[in-house]
Amino acid sequence: MVANRSSDDRTESVVRISMAGFLSWLVPGLGHIYLGDKKRGIIFLVTIATTFWGGVAIGGVRGTVNPQQRKAWFMAEVCAGGHALAAYGLHKAQPEGLTKRDPQTGEWPYVGHWLAVEIGIVYAAVAGLLNVLIILDALVRADSPHPQPVREVAAVESRSGKR
Amino acid sequence: MTPLLAALFRDAINVSGKGRMLLILPLCLAIAIVYKAIRCEDLTRLPRTVPALWITIVIGMYAVGVALWVIFCIMA
Repeated sequence: MVANRSSDDRTESVVRISMAGFLSWLVPGLGHIYLGDKKRGIIFLVTIATTFWGGVAIGGVRGTVNPQQRKAWFMAEVCAGGHALAAYGLHKAQPEGLTKRDPQTGEWPYVGHWLAVEIGIVYAAVAGLLNVLIILDALVRADSPHPQPVREVAAVESRSGKR
Repeated sequence: MTPLLAALFRDAINVSGKGRMLLILPLCLAIAIVYKAIRCEDLTRLPRTVPALWITIVIGMYAVGVALWVIFCIMA
C-alpha cells in the first residue's frame, strides 16, 4: 500500500516536472502558471513575447527566422518554442523567391538592411536563450517538494537585505 | 492596418543614425527582468532591483563597446 502510494507520488512528480518543462518551452511563462506561480509566469510571458516579436519586427521574418542561412541562430531562436514556430510558419508562408537562394546565381534574396537583420536576430535569439533559463527555473520549481519554505527563505532574505 | 502590420513583420525596418545605439536598451531590460524574476522569490522587489541591474548591464555594454572602438582606432 505504502509502496503504491510512493510510486503514485513519483509518477505524479514526473508528470508535473515534464509538463512544466514542456509548457515553458511551448509558451514561455506557461510552465510557471501551470505550477501556480501566475505573476512570475505572466512576467516571463510578456517579456519573452515582446523581445522575440520585437526582434522579428526589427529584422523582418524573412531575415530573422532563417534556418537555411543561419542555422546556429535559428537553434537559439527555437528555444523560444511557440513563438519561433509561429515565426517560422510566417517565414515559410512567404513567396519562395523572397526566402530561398537563387538556384542560378546562388545568391540569397535581399531581406533588408544588414544591421536591422543582425539586431533582429540577436533579439530573437536572446529571447530563446532567456527561455532556456525560464525552463530550467520551471523544472527546479516543479521538482521542489516544499515550495512554502522557499517563500520563507525569501522573506528572511528580504528582511536581512540580501540580494 | 493589417497590411501595415504584415509589412512590419515581413520586412526589416530602416536602422540608421545614432538612434541604433538605443536598441540595446530594451534587450538589456528584458535580460534584467528575466534574471531578477528568476532570482527574487519576492516579486515586489522587482521594481527596485531590475532598474539597478538594467543600468549596470547597459553601462557595462557601452564600456566594452567604447573600449573596442578605442582599440580599433589605435590599430587603424
